[in-house]
Amino acid sequence: MTNNVIETRDLTVYYGKHRGILDVNLSVEKGEVFGFLGPNGAGKTTTQRVLLDVFPPTAGQASIFGKNCQYDGVEIRKHIGYLPGELALYANMKARDFFQMYEYLRKDKKSRGYWQQLADRLDLDTSRKISHFSRGNKQKVGIVAAFMDRAELLILDEPTGGLDPLVQKTVLELVRETKADGRTVFFSSHILSEVQAVCDRVGIIRDGQLVATQRVEDLFAQRMNRMTLIFEGSPPEGAFNIVGVSVLEKTRQSITLEVRENLPQVLAAASQNNVKDIETHNISLEEIFLNYYRKDEGGNHV
Amino acid sequence: MFRLLVQELKFRRNAILGWGLGLCFFPLVYVGIYPSVAEEMAGLADLEIYAAMGVNLGTFGDWIGSILIIFLPLIAAIYVIGNGTGTLAGEEEDGRLEMLVTLPIPRGQIVTAKALALVISTVLIYLIVSIASWLVFLGIEGQIETDLVGRDMFVASMSSWPLVFAMSMIAMFLAAFCSNRRYANMIATAILVISYFGSNLASSSPLLEPFEPFFLFSYLDGTGKAVAEGQQLWNVMVLLAIGVVAFEMTLIFFQIRRLTVGAWPWQKGIVEI
Repeated sequence: MTNNVIETRDLTVYYGKHRGILDVNLSVEKGEVFGFLGPNGAGKTTTQRVLLDVFPPTAGQASIFGKNCQYDGVEIRKHIGYLPGELALYANMKARDFFQMYEYLRKDKKSRGYWQQLADRLDLDTSRKISHFSRGNKQKVGIVAAFMDRAELLILDEPTGGLDPLVQKTVLELVRETKADGRTVFFSSHILSEVQAVCDRVGIIRDGQLVATQRVEDLFAQRMNRMTLIFEGSPPEGAFNIVGVSVLEKTRQSITLEVRENLPQVLAAASQNNVKDIETHNISLEEIFLNYYRKDEGGNHV
Repeated sequence: MFRLLVQELKFRRNAILGWGLGLCFFPLVYVGIYPSVAEEMAGLADLEIYAAMGVNLGTFGDWIGSILIIFLPLIAAIYVIGNGTGTLAGEEEDGRLEMLVTLPIPRGQIVTAKALALVISTVLIYLIVSIASWLVFLGIEGQIETDLVGRDMFVASMSSWPLVFAMSMIAMFLAAFCSNRRYANMIATAILVISYFGSNLASSSPLLEPFEPFFLFSYLDGTGKAVAEGQQLWNVMVLLAIGVVAFEMTLIFFQIRRLTVGAWPWQKGIVEI
């Protein structure tokens, strides 16, 4: 029996003739925090909306807890907390009334009143009307609504948008606590530092297609692969024409390389050519991520 | 569903009070002034232009029929078109519906709760206006010559509710069917206006006569006779049936609606291979 909480098979959505997502095959295991990365318009929200049966896919299938999202949506949604990317709230309600309404509509008894604890942690004044809130406070309302019934699966679309760094930290703590409870988080974002901070695995979506799914530490294994070699004289011509190595920059005395494979050969060539110094650069997740988006270079498909 | 219905009614609390009390000015002004303008109006009774607008000024009963049976639903329809399209298409466009449909509530229950809330709100608005009509009539009863009694005012006011019910369900259907709220509003308003003028003109134009059954206002009798005796049961049934069918259609189209996409039902995604 599969341990996957979310599973999609060839999931495709078209808006008329416009591509939403194409053949997305994704699996999210129970108890993991899965980061779904991609720029605006890549298909993150579309994927989430299909999972929540906001609309059906054009082709393919999506399932959560082993149930079909399209046919068992109500049953599935009993166990999901959702924070939409485009958050819209009942502006004339007080935050407290909104949470009570939400609790009432979800028929949630096991976590009754938990929203108050969450609101306190996020420093949210629930006695005020939502229309009087700043964007950040409205986002807090959405976060509390998503977490308030301790759902088995949380689907969070860019949860820290509009929040100050302190509150962002609290939200990431909440995500970690959710994981510690053995619950699952599907976390879409384009803020890489937070993905790096809380996610176990990431899926990278580009132009509606899932181009990579990797463990975060595997992505970071690539951080040693950019280096600048400094020579006594001018860098040797052609010495680094090695498979899997690209020359990023060449100056009078140095050469900067991006090394995807054959690192020992690079070091040997450097040694043979009297290298004076080697500087390695930490490639941030951001750079790795952007690498997937360099269309003209073909990206870094996995 | 009951929980959602309670919430939907709470959301409409201010609208019910606002529209109910606002519409009270209608009988207050137009029924209240009758004693002072009755003689002048009798002289205008035969003008064609008034007939085309559905206004009959012959007697107090005719006047009441024009005001409470014909004009009242015309104004109340503005509320139901705005609310009927707003509760589905409006909330879809501003994003609130997404929050709602991602809760563990079946779509059919969402539509039913919203439709019931809209229906109950129109009943309450009508009750407020009908009681106001009754009270205004009691205030002027001694100044006019009529066989009508206070209860007739109440019944006359309430008698146009089936048309408002039909219009509210048509508005909800259009919200579930059209790609966006703008189209839903536009088409619902067109149906209302065409129904109103079409029905009035059909009685005087042979060209429009065959189309009379298609105009909603044709099922509403705004004469003094209807004020005294009530609407024909058949007409009431037709309007209620239109409302029920429109609600059923709303259920079907909301069930298959690709929410947040803003597409017509036939605009499914096309996979290009």
